[in-house]
Amino acid sequence: MKIHTFVATAGIAVFAVFGSAHAESPADLNDLEIAHVAYTADNIDIRYAHLALALSESSEVREFAATMIRDHNAVNGQALALLEKLGAQPQDNFLSQQLIANSIELVNEMSALRGADFDKRYAENELAYHQAVNDLVENTFIPNIDNGEVKDLFGAGLEIFMAHENHAQAVVNSLN
Amino acid sequence: MYRRRFLASLVAAVAATTASLKLNAASASSGAPVSHTVKIANFAFSPATLSVGVGDRVTWINMDIVPHTATADDGSWDAGELGPNERKEIVVTEGLGGSYYCRFHPAMTAKLDLV
Repeated sequence: MKIHTFVATAGIAVFAVFGSAHAESPADLNDLEIAHVAYTADNIDIRYAHLALALSESSEVREFAATMIRDHNAVNGQALALLEKLGAQPQDNFLSQQLIANSIELVNEMSALRGADFDKRYAENELAYHQAVNDLVENTFIPNIDNGEVKDLFGAGLEIFMAHENHAQAVVNSLN
Repeated sequence: MYRRRFLASLVAAVAATTASLKLNAASASSGAPVSHTVKIANFAFSPATLSVGVGDRVTWINMDIVPHTATADDGSWDAGELGPNERKEIVVTEGLGGSYYCRFHPAMTAKLDLV
């Protein structure tokens, strides 16, 4: 169970390590595929947050979740506005699909939990998820994005998600 | 005799001028309210510490793409929720001062110094 959830949670990290051995690697994604991954990653975190609002009794967890919904929706809004301005559509890709598949396992796992068990699992997953996504954005996506405006938006997004990562760490610390 | 009277007048004149200057100085510090601006950018309040007087106005401007708030640590005042590019204002009242933070991102902290 532990190994299973570790892999599910750190699915992105596993992919990043072994990605180069596969035909498809996060480093090979184009701007529109990267935009699709960002949009997907945002929506996944929004989904986790809605689950937290449905199940958690902790005001700290609920406030964190509310911020995730607010902020990830804001970033998505900016991303969609930019794509519309550029006359482009985000492109589905292997990494978005992998993220979604992982998230379904996480939702199934977390939705079976209640009380302190749920809070702990949610907070730990938020920390691991933001760490993995931030690493991907900073070290793979931003260096590979061609369009300047898309790159700037990802830079702004990274700053927001780093704040989320630190906030998640604070929630994890307070629950332990 | 004239010299003594002259000196007495001179001392009186200096004393009057000094008193007048002191009165003017007091008026300047407790005079017209001052407007201050705090920028919210890159998940930080700037300036982090702001000296304000009673009656002053403080305006927060959100330059980030996510919403923030400016809320007293003790809950005694709240400038409200600021969407991107929004500004909110409070008027400084007696006893208002101290640390504040963003309710949405609690690591964002700052201070109003009531002088």
